[in-house]
Amino acid sequence: MTTTSRTGRRAALAGVAVATTLALTACNANAPEPAGGETTAVQQGGELHVLTSSTAINWDPATSQNLAITTLGLVERRLTSWRTDPDGTTEVVPDLATDTGTPSDDGATWTYTLKDGLTFEDGTPVTSADVKYSVERSFAPELSGGLGYHKGLLEGGDDYTGPYDGGELDSIETPDDRTIVFHLDSAYGDWPWIVSMPAFGAVPEDQDDVETYATDPVATGPYRVAETVEGTSVTLERNPEWDPETDDARAAGPDSIVFELGQDETVVAQRLIADSGTDASAFGASFVPPAQLAQVQQGPAKDRLVTSGPGALAYLAINTEAEGLDDVDVRKAISLAVDKNAYRVAAGGEISGDFATTLVTPGIPGREEYSDGVNDAAPEGDVERAEQLLEDAGWSGRELRLVVQDDAPNLARAQAIQQGLERAGLTVKIVPQAADVWTQTVTQGDGSGYDLTLSSWQPDFPSANGNIQPLFHSSQVGGGGYNLARYADPEADELIEQATQETDAEQAAKLWVEADKLILGDAPVVPLIYTKNSFLHGSKVENFRIPDFPAYPNYLQVSLSR
Amino acid sequence: MTLVRFLATRLATLAFVLLAVSFLTYALFVLLPADPAQLACGRPCTPERLETARAFMGLDKPVVEQWWDFLRGVFAGRTFGSANATLTCPSPCLGYSFVRNAPVTELILGRFPVTASIAVGAAVLWLVVGVGAGVVAAVRRGTALDRGLMIAAITGVSAPSYLVGLLGILLFGFTLDMVPVSGYVPFATSPVDWAWHLVLPWTVLALLSAAIYTRLTRSQMLEELGSPYVRTARAKGLSERRVVTRHALRNAAVPVVTLFALDLGVLLGGTVITERVFSMPGLGALLMEAVGATDVPLLVGVTVFTAALVVVANLAVDVVHGALDPRVRHGGSSR
Repeated sequence: MTTTSRTGRRAALAGVAVATTLALTACNANAPEPAGGETTAVQQGGELHVLTSSTAINWDPATSQNLAITTLGLVERRLTSWRTDPDGTTEVVPDLATDTGTPSDDGATWTYTLKDGLTFEDGTPVTSADVKYSVERSFAPELSGGLGYHKGLLEGGDDYTGPYDGGELDSIETPDDRTIVFHLDSAYGDWPWIVSMPAFGAVPEDQDDVETYATDPVATGPYRVAETVEGTSVTLERNPEWDPETDDARAAGPDSIVFELGQDETVVAQRLIADSGTDASAFGASFVPPAQLAQVQQGPAKDRLVTSGPGALAYLAINTEAEGLDDVDVRKAISLAVDKNAYRVAAGGEISGDFATTLVTPGIPGREEYSDGVNDAAPEGDVERAEQLLEDAGWSGRELRLVVQDDAPNLARAQAIQQGLERAGLTVKIVPQAADVWTQTVTQGDGSGYDLTLSSWQPDFPSANGNIQPLFHSSQVGGGGYNLARYADPEADELIEQATQETDAEQAAKLWVEADKLILGDAPVVPLIYTKNSFLHGSKVENFRIPDFPAYPNYLQVSLSR
Repeated sequence: MTLVRFLATRLATLAFVLLAVSFLTYALFVLLPADPAQLACGRPCTPERLETARAFMGLDKPVVEQWWDFLRGVFAGRTFGSANATLTCPSPCLGYSFVRNAPVTELILGRFPVTASIAVGAAVLWLVVGVGAGVVAAVRRGTALDRGLMIAAITGVSAPSYLVGLLGILLFGFTLDMVPVSGYVPFATSPVDWAWHLVLPWTVLALLSAAIYTRLTRSQMLEELGSPYVRTARAKGLSERRVVTRHALRNAAVPVVTLFALDLGVLLGGTVITERVFSMPGLGALLMEAVGATDVPLLVGVTVFTAALVVVANLAVDVVHGALDPRVRHGGSSR
């Protein structure tokens, strides 16, 4: 994956699961095209090739972390899906369901009705029981590693161990074949996004085999798996049972799609630049490596390069439990001493991202830019003020351990941070650790192993909730959580919970902006840049667009020219 | 009887080495600070779910017990999970990859043909080219041909395979468009495509290794050609061709065969860089994926399998030595 996505476990996981599927972009590099819902508008036919570094595709919805608009979305529909429009916006749209969900008055019960006439690839009807079963099996320890936001939200989810030996999950009701009701522990306004995740598809119980479903899924989408050559390729063919009339999220242009597995990123970039044979109908699922990026920008393939808008937040986390760093003024001094410009240069320059000043990232509805006088200071920082703050706070002058992943890009970035902080008299020691060890150090245990660390984060669904709750709620400190600043503030917790439970989107957005300001006022992290990434496609590939969120191409809309 | 005893001793050593390797790998990987259960925990992860995942994968048991389970699995197979949905790992079970939801043995066997195709093809090529060039250089010692071959050999030994691989792809794949740049086609699908896709990896790998064999063969041949028995053979009036092939080469072959068997054993365990550069889904690629995903069972399985190949290659060397040199077979005493 990329350096940015590698810095965050969530990002790293998403990358792995989606076949190097994380990235950041906003469209506008492609020709305009009718709204995603107009599925008949795109050119039909052809064989699309997807060149990926992954060596296997995991089709099991219970263990996948795929985004709604990538690989799994081609084969498996969910209750809701994402539609990305040419103007860059991403909205949640009904998929298997007739709408995005009807909440009860208290916002803790959500009801969905399945569309009429939906069938699996073998022609049997899709029922609410199939959806319920699909959600239930995601709780089984046999099927692990998937997106599990719902596990902590559904009533009784914490103790449920899946349908294989745990019986049924009573908080999911299916009063009839087309109705499904979810009972949550408390109100959750972003539930319509949650049910766009892989587990909320449909799995027929009589065709479920935990050992083979990952390679042999039962399709509900426009394609089904036709052939898998271990480690080499996966070929999708049209699913004749899929009815475009019922689908607002998928254009289903190509007649077949071939995933070429285990491709080296450098070779992929060269193949796409050369644009010969089937490569003209191909796109790369991984970011274009920095060396090739320079080559592409100067050559004829430039028109086929798509760079995202600002996406994931790259940030410096300050361990608020570490000695001396529990003082908010010291943390503010660090924020002011950081040289964001030097960081961006180390990350690859302007094409690698825009300077960040807030926690909620661009492309998230309701995001507000604001001035706090610290993070919106000049990108080079304000060394004088930093020195003054440190002096007033009586900073001990001890050495700060900046723990980062041990790879060249991260080390270069760490040096940029180190040099920035040293301008204000702070001593920083860079501690490189292997990716796994780094994850262990910053997400497990008591956090005594680091003072500062570099990470990046892109939410799994486009809500400020995804920006803030996983990084700043006190429940996410240690134990595998990603509150790397180990920030725990009762007021912030309360605000996060309040915003989470708000079912009115506009009202919720306001609360998230409030949380953004409150938390950043305590300076637990320094927002550095909103990262951008670039993808390359062949000359016959059309509608290869990247929305504002997620900063990754929408596979469901890609088509081929004649 | 001596041959049987010879084999029995070697097989016992082999078993002991594998046992030791499996334990050390197990201990090493389990002692790493990385937690394989973390991946299985999914996102978002809670401490309770992490514990459940650990218990399911058997990571909450002591290392020795985990190792014992592993050993037992090799002979008896293993199962994970409840009766209604068991993950089965039939014997010989080298572990179960929870990341991929598949038995490690199955994963290894799925990838082995790819690595074997690369390794065996390259090995044959480099043996023929390397030994051939070595013999020619020795026979034509001191000529321009000898020097040319030695310069080529030094270049070959020094060149890093990833560089030569990428240059090869760039030249023959992109610029000249002669061969496919990446991918693997199974032999069963199309033998022609299989070979066609492998031509470049074979050549790159073989050219680099052939260099070592050229140098080794040359020096061994020079030594043999200067020894009294060759003089005697020549004096008897044997043709130079017969002297070189039947007498000198046969004796010069002993160290070459030793090196060849070991190289092949190592290569069969995964040609990491070659597979990476040419996008071939072999064992080396599998190992790299396992490292990337903290897939400890897969790491242990592949390591033990690779170790087994090297140990078997050693055994093969011993046996072939026996065939080439009767002294080895008869207890190593001098004539």
